[in-house]
Amino acid sequence: MSLKDIISPFYAWKRAFEKPYTIKDPVNRKAADLYRGFHTNDIEKCIGCGSCEEICQNEAIDMVEVAELVATKGNSGLKPLIDYGRCCWCALCVDICPTTSLGMSNDYTWLSEDPEVYRFVPGIDELPWANESEKGYKRGDESWLVNGEREKMPEQEADERKNTFDEFQDGYTDEQAIIEANRCLDCGICVQACPTHMDIPQYIKAIRDGKLDEGLRIMFQTNPMVEACGRICTAKCETVCAVGHEGKPIAIRWLKRYIGDKTYDRKDEIIDLKPKPASGKKVGIIGGGPAGLTAAYYLRTLGHDAVIYEMHDKLGGMLKWGIPDYRLPADVLQREIDYIIRQDVEVKYNTKVGKDIMLEDIHKENDAVFVCIGAQLGTEMPIEGLDTEGVLSGVGFLEKIGKGERPDLGKDVVVVGGGNTAMDCCRSSVRLGSDVKVVYRRTEKEMPADEIEIIEAKEEGVDIQILTSPVKIEKKDGRLAIECIKMELGEPDKSGRRRPEPVKGSEYTIIADTCIMAVGQKVEPEIMKDLDIKLTRWGTFEVNTDTLKSNQDTIYAGGDCETGPDDAIRAIAAGKKAAYFIDKQFKG
Amino acid sequence: MRPIWNDTKDLDLKSGKYVKIWQGPQHPGVTGNMALEILLEGDEIMQLNTHVGYLHRGFEKLMERRKYIKCFPIVCRICVPEPDTNEYLFATAAEDLAGIEIPERAKWLRALNLEMARLGATIMGIGGQAGSFGLGTIGQWSVAHRDLILDLFEELTGGRIYHMYMLPGGVRHEPPAGFEDRLEKVLVKTEKLMYDIDKVMFNNYVFKSRAVGLGVLPKEWIKPFGVTGTTARASGVKYDVRKDHPYLIYDQLDFEPTTGTVGDVYERTVLRKKEVLLSVDLIRQILAKMPRTGSVRTKIPDILHWKVPAGETYVKAESGRGEYGYYMVSDGSEYPRRVHVRGASYTHAMALLEKMAEGVTNADIFGLMVSLQTCPPEIER
Amino acid sequence: MKDMIERLASKFNIKDINEHKSNQVFFTAEKIDIEGVILYLKEFEKYDQLTMISCVDYIEDGKFQLTYLLRNYDLNNDACIRVYIDRENPTMTSINELWAAARVYERELKEMFGIDFPGCPRVDDPFVLEGWDTIPPMRKDFDTKKYSEETYFPREGRTKKDPTEQMAEKMYPVEEEVKKSITKVFRDNSK
Repeated sequence: MSLKDIISPFYAWKRAFEKPYTIKDPVNRKAADLYRGFHTNDIEKCIGCGSCEEICQNEAIDMVEVAELVATKGNSGLKPLIDYGRCCWCALCVDICPTTSLGMSNDYTWLSEDPEVYRFVPGIDELPWANESEKGYKRGDESWLVNGEREKMPEQEADERKNTFDEFQDGYTDEQAIIEANRCLDCGICVQACPTHMDIPQYIKAIRDGKLDEGLRIMFQTNPMVEACGRICTAKCETVCAVGHEGKPIAIRWLKRYIGDKTYDRKDEIIDLKPKPASGKKVGIIGGGPAGLTAAYYLRTLGHDAVIYEMHDKLGGMLKWGIPDYRLPADVLQREIDYIIRQDVEVKYNTKVGKDIMLEDIHKENDAVFVCIGAQLGTEMPIEGLDTEGVLSGVGFLEKIGKGERPDLGKDVVVVGGGNTAMDCCRSSVRLGSDVKVVYRRTEKEMPADEIEIIEAKEEGVDIQILTSPVKIEKKDGRLAIECIKMELGEPDKSGRRRPEPVKGSEYTIIADTCIMAVGQKVEPEIMKDLDIKLTRWGTFEVNTDTLKSNQDTIYAGGDCETGPDDAIRAIAAGKKAAYFIDKQFKG
Repeated sequence: MRPIWNDTKDLDLKSGKYVKIWQGPQHPGVTGNMALEILLEGDEIMQLNTHVGYLHRGFEKLMERRKYIKCFPIVCRICVPEPDTNEYLFATAAEDLAGIEIPERAKWLRALNLEMARLGATIMGIGGQAGSFGLGTIGQWSVAHRDLILDLFEELTGGRIYHMYMLPGGVRHEPPAGFEDRLEKVLVKTEKLMYDIDKVMFNNYVFKSRAVGLGVLPKEWIKPFGVTGTTARASGVKYDVRKDHPYLIYDQLDFEPTTGTVGDVYERTVLRKKEVLLSVDLIRQILAKMPRTGSVRTKIPDILHWKVPAGETYVKAESGRGEYGYYMVSDGSEYPRRVHVRGASYTHAMALLEKMAEGVTNADIFGLMVSLQTCPPEIER
Repeated sequence: MKDMIERLASKFNIKDINEHKSNQVFFTAEKIDIEGVILYLKEFEKYDQLTMISCVDYIEDGKFQLTYLLRNYDLNNDACIRVYIDRENPTMTSINELWAAARVYERELKEMFGIDFPGCPRVDDPFVLEGWDTIPPMRKDFDTKKYSEETYFPREGRTKKDPTEQMAEKMYPVEEEVKKSITKVFRDNSK
């Protein structure tokens, strides 16, 4: 030890004259810009999907009901309640939030003796410290934990596919299906949007776990037509998908198709129906479309006999006659129908009600009747020249295609309308070798067809002329002269879409060989007139919307003939519902 | 032949010569809650038993029932002063099993983060060492300086103590603008502090007279007791994971591990000071060589359902206290089968301290314990 | 490291060799050989530091996997030895005579997994769990959630709702009833 060691520590006194490091007001110190402090939640954006609750490793987040917010389509109305006795400020909830509603402020000090104030719903509960500043941790695009990119469906290019009616999408491979299934957040916001409320997160989980058999069973609980739906469903679920807010929604439809593709040859083995003991009751189902087939399937499940009266020689309804092969191959549909029929469903083919058999007879023969005749008649526009040769109705044209006919339409085809039927017509016409124009009276935004259908039609070379309406069709030099008028959008009508109004003097003529009118369909209720079933003013059957029961006891109606023209999944939902309520009535 | 660590003295407890006292488990300074059961004869320790389990227990078990991503906020809690080593090792073990390559810039940012954490922890450790011998001033200085580093962490990561910055796949986000300048200012202050500490602590008669010659750890004991880090290097075993198993970008940095020869408390503390200066140097090197652009995160495609392929791995890194390792076993499910955390001070704190305490006076045991850099959460996990 | 494995394999029965990283090798040894393998590695191959001992519970196979991690300072690499032991009345040879560090690990394994290491000093003393009265907690059949629910009390007034169920209840109660009952019948049928 030296003297130096004794003197040296006095060096510390030097510090006494320096500016201290301490800050004057540590309580009101502002934290750094990216600090993870108390949560903020943008209630306008939050859809109550509960992903934050799911990822919270401390179970600090509870999704709770908030008085003034109700569940709406794509929004559960629940909001995260955060318990700061549990929160560890890791911000994984912020990083996973699919809508960017959840964030964190850079406020972190709040003193109170009441522990309850540390449990609150950000964005709803009024807090004395509510942070006005925009600062604090927010999720950027790069820090989003979720994969926003959708796995691409393997499909043929437009140039290739436009020459054939063969299906052009191959379905996901095993790897792709798992990748896509992994993107799902399991929130279940989509279940409400599905008309038949399929358990979407559960079957996606089954794909993830490689349990496709269980996946098929889960789907069959709510929908016996999974292969058709996996191809042509309008996929309303995807429009509300939580991931879709910032990225591309999960390809729910393709995942459904994946399960169907992988299990169809073992369906009997996986779903061994073993119906409940026979009840001795019999239900007549008028119409063998998706609603009728679904009703038959679930009636069999519930132990009742079902007999389908079908006017064609094949079942499937609009799935068969309204959807061309390139979207839903006939053999796929047929094997799915065959499975349902194998459950001891009786079918009377070529039996048109009102012509071959009367409703009253069906009513007498069976313990209950489910009417699901669809909307089979094409609507006519109030224009001149509809009876000109070469003017076809969309439904009629598709029915021919469905029967395997390949009519010669000539070089130029005009399709009138903007719905899915119009898209099917124009894309079928392309496949018959014609140049196709679509005329639609509103803009593309208002077109009722699925977005993907419009995109694919355009890829295949369809020319969509918007804000155009035909006014007159006549024969000229052996071809059709279609006089059209330009439209402009006026005030919104009762459907919420802006009403198109003609622009004076903007008439012009399109020359074509064929004109397909696909402007809508309607029900043909006259065939039922022997029993007085009440109709609405739109010509559809009037039923109790909860039970699908008409004004006649034991007669139920559902599907397009009750709702007006709509999609297959809604018809399936109706069939299932009818089966349940018919069963309920039998039980008394 | 019995190994020395199994040699136990035969003590006649009924003789009235001995008195048993407890130190802890309340926080004995910077080490965390741990109890020492001391058997004294006069002022001299005859026998020491350590008791742990008073701080955070059961992390490994908690991880087994959480998905991989949900473990990420837990692991940092295993070590309070230097949580980043845990974050890094957990992330890298999962990445290793899943075969995920992280972007270059993320590697540099991780290394920067690790060095900053080492800096903060070691500075506080020096303060704790001083405090254990009654030099409170140094304790205050070092905690104040650690706070400056925590301010930087707050800017860089969004958290002060637990940073939760190194997610599997990379790091959370870019450093904010102007961060490097503010970091450099703190580095200058740190160097100044080390100069002051040199004067006030290492050239201090009081400190020297107590620390020099206390708790000499012979070189032969290093391997049997599994000692690593500065504690081993002070005894002349030159092992530094950063140099011997370079991870991240440490192979691109130019440095020499710190070493000593004597292996007493004084030397171990001096080595910590050298560690601080080495960290300062490494941070400067990192800032000079780090790429300025590029992504900082590889997206894990399926975060909520992340299934790590089956396999096992052991990854390690040099923490301020020695080799820190994560042994991770995956069975291919969404949950880790087993995560074993090999804390740097796992054996220092128990087997080694119990042996070294024999013959030390009661007043010095605390200084000895701090010098071994005990950290009970690493034992309890 | 390859040489080491070859030499080791010529003396003992080792399998499942996994050289995932260049400076790390995992392999499985027989339980009966374990003392020999470890001693050989320590004395002849200079794997003279014990980095850790760990245990993995393979409850479905009725086995515990013990992992010994040894380090060679000269070659700078790690040898990880796996050994499987029965889950029923598990015992293992203690290596506390070889490394002081092993004492702590073995004592911890005894408490956390219930594996006995006869001859290890203080192996029966409580390690971190004073007054633990149920099965060793690191075993897979110990349910932490259940334990904490039975031992502690939840915070009052905590409720949570599932988004899907909430939407079903508020937006389509009739359809939910249809779905639930058909699902039930369907599941009952397919049993």
